[in-house]
Amino acid sequence: MALALQDIRIVDLSRIWAGPYGTKLLADMGAEVVKIEALDRLDPHRGAVRPQAGTGNYPDGEPGNDPWNRNGWFNSLHQNKYGITLNLSHAQGKEVFRELIAMSDVVIENFRRGVLDRLGFTYEELKKIRPDIVVVSMPAFGNKGIWKDYIQYGIGQEQLAGVDSMGGYSVAEGPIKSGINHGDPITGSHAAGAILASLMYRRRTGKSVFIDLSQLDSSISLMGEHLLDFQMSGKNPTTTGNQHHSFAPQGVFPCSGEDEWVAISVTSDSEWQKFAEAIGHPDIGLNTRFADSFSRKQNEPELFPLITEWTENKNKFEITNTLQIAGIPAAPVMTNEDIYDDPHYQSRSLMEISDHPSTDIQLLPGVGWKMSKTTSEIRWHAPRLGEHNEFIFRDLVGLSEDYIASLINEGVSGTQPVGA
Amino acid sequence: MSENDSTIQNSPEPNLLSGISVIELGDEISAAYCTKMMAYLGADVLKIERPLVGDSARSVGPFPDSAPNIEKSALFLYLNTGKKSITLNLESSSGQKIFKSLIEQADLVVENLPPGKLESLNLDYIHLSSINPDIVMTSVSDFGQTGPYKNYKATPLQHYAFGGLMYITGLPDREPLQMKPRLPEYGVAQNAFVASLSALWYRDSTGIGQHVDISTAEYSASILENGLSMYSYTGNKLGRSGNKGYGRAAWGIYTCKDGFVGVIAGPEHKWSAMAELMDEPRLADEKYTERSGRQIYAEEIETLMEPWLMSHNKQEIFEQAQKLGLAFAYVATPEDILNWEHLDNRGYFTEISHPNAGSYKYAGAAFQAEGIEPYWQRAPILGEHNDEVLLPIIENLKMDIQDLKLEKTI
Repeated sequence: MALALQDIRIVDLSRIWAGPYGTKLLADMGAEVVKIEALDRLDPHRGAVRPQAGTGNYPDGEPGNDPWNRNGWFNSLHQNKYGITLNLSHAQGKEVFRELIAMSDVVIENFRRGVLDRLGFTYEELKKIRPDIVVVSMPAFGNKGIWKDYIQYGIGQEQLAGVDSMGGYSVAEGPIKSGINHGDPITGSHAAGAILASLMYRRRTGKSVFIDLSQLDSSISLMGEHLLDFQMSGKNPTTTGNQHHSFAPQGVFPCSGEDEWVAISVTSDSEWQKFAEAIGHPDIGLNTRFADSFSRKQNEPELFPLITEWTENKNKFEITNTLQIAGIPAAPVMTNEDIYDDPHYQSRSLMEISDHPSTDIQLLPGVGWKMSKTTSEIRWHAPRLGEHNEFIFRDLVGLSEDYIASLINEGVSGTQPVGA
Repeated sequence: MSENDSTIQNSPEPNLLSGISVIELGDEISAAYCTKMMAYLGADVLKIERPLVGDSARSVGPFPDSAPNIEKSALFLYLNTGKKSITLNLESSSGQKIFKSLIEQADLVVENLPPGKLESLNLDYIHLSSINPDIVMTSVSDFGQTGPYKNYKATPLQHYAFGGLMYITGLPDREPLQMKPRLPEYGVAQNAFVASLSALWYRDSTGIGQHVDISTAEYSASILENGLSMYSYTGNKLGRSGNKGYGRAAWGIYTCKDGFVGVIAGPEHKWSAMAELMDEPRLADEKYTERSGRQIYAEEIETLMEPWLMSHNKQEIFEQAQKLGLAFAYVATPEDILNWEHLDNRGYFTEISHPNAGSYKYAGAAFQAEGIEPYWQRAPILGEHNDEVLLPIIENLKMDIQDLKLEKTI
């Protein structure tokens, strides 16, 4: 099957999660992504070069001889990419980098602001090498503004974007962070979109594009209605826990088993009638104190014990099925294990087989959508450190064997990290 | 329509997506945020809404003075900037004919109707591509167009539950918790943007259009950090750790004098700055330096941090830590964000006036292309562009506009 983006080449200097997530989306659809790491500065998601026992995410907890090639976090974000090592502080490294830029469409980086400039690769310089280059620069706070030199991770972007200010079990108990560093995938996906929109512009106009992607701007862009809400009401939005602000009952209820839960929402009067019947209390469905959305919301806490009584000895999947058949929104609260084993996700091929020489076969998440005429399956495993040095240096850039040997001898490139 | 904004002009060249023609059949967030981005990048986005009621986002709010009004819903106003709106009943045969005429000129359709709905109207990808062979169609849904749960219903609570984000949010001894912002729906809309542009790129390269099937569930499940790979590698389950990310001290949210701050210590080589910042030499103890130490001694560390945190305000904690190279944050409210000088420096906000809803500062573009201004225009009134867009088509199809209005087709 064809690949949607096979005629795009991206030089990827991004690290950790945000940038690599963005380039993963594009690599899965066929873009040729060349990820550059330095032997003394691996992508932190490869983990420590000499990890302590019991830390990290290695097959069966064993770091093995090459832990940097065996980290699940790294390996699930870099399938379908090429991996090379190159020291950009070194003159030879810069020379190879320039040759690579000259034959590429896009450069993406999420260093601290100014790092790439100090290495000698400003946007102006990159344009001299490749006049129609697309550059995506994604520092935490962008390339301009009084906070431009501040640093941040996805965990803090979620807080600064206002997400956490309206979270938590109740207002009195204060905010609760999300279970992930939410700023990263938000920014990564926006970066992937920025690359494609810029390439479409370039195809039309022949012009280069510089994208200033502030991770903070990107995260706040998902909070638009809440910023308007404050201006309309003069009040900051506050948490309603697992309840909905208008319809009821809604909540997360315990099920049979340890730490098992089901999420139920009754969004209309007709759903309420069916729900009352489903939980074996058709009488409450007729009770005027719960007859409409407003009165149900007023008296919602009274319903929780009745619902819990019905859910607590039942399986979360069976409850979901019963309620969905009755037309009521319900879902099991899924663990990572549940998702891995779930027939629906399996039927959608969420997890795909990835055979990796340092980890053997693992199931890893694919791109997360389906295209009818192009493929996005895992074509090859995440690169071991410097795995594609030869292919990129010799076959793509056209460097001589001698030159490649000198890169290795000078420590500009290689496959063993510093400190191994 | 008010007199001072009767013409909505197409986005002026040059913009990143100028010349792309998009039709949106969107309800609430998961299609509309995708096409909102396209609109501010210069694409022509035509939103097709149900006659009389329109997009449900018009009824969701929040509203000024908490008074429901389909032209004043914050969710709708934000998500539909820069788009045109027409009303069309796709259940009627004349509505379908008009829709097919619109399809002839379009590059992309983005829809999030329940799976199977367009098929039942003979307006699914197979039918639309017989009218316009290289069209790209992106279908966004809760669970996907296929699979055993494809017809399940979901609200934001179920999105958080089924995608796996809820189980890992909250306290270990309490029930799992949703987040108030509807991030799974925004997130899938972001990825729908990426998938749609990829399909358009392929079409421009080969002349071949296609159908994209993308779901909120799979988006959420694919952003659980390393949750899925961890299960494959180790069989370990992810759990909840409240405000202490990964169970570690100094990677989460803490109470301070006037609110909540993000104490985010980062890598080992930066740990020594913590003691300096908080004027607490005992924090410099080597056993806290490594991340594993911050997990084992989490409570000790938190006891040492507390006096300083409780005697400083969130803004000063954030600024002082950043000046020492520590990536601290704080739990900002919308009010805080609207007042940040940094965002004004960046030109992030745009004041947009709407004849019914009033004038507000709107959150800006997710990214800025140097030298190219985003296209900002208020959200449309329901059916605002019916005459402009539909009259030529109705004339061409030799239909009677009065009949169409009477039978509520438009």
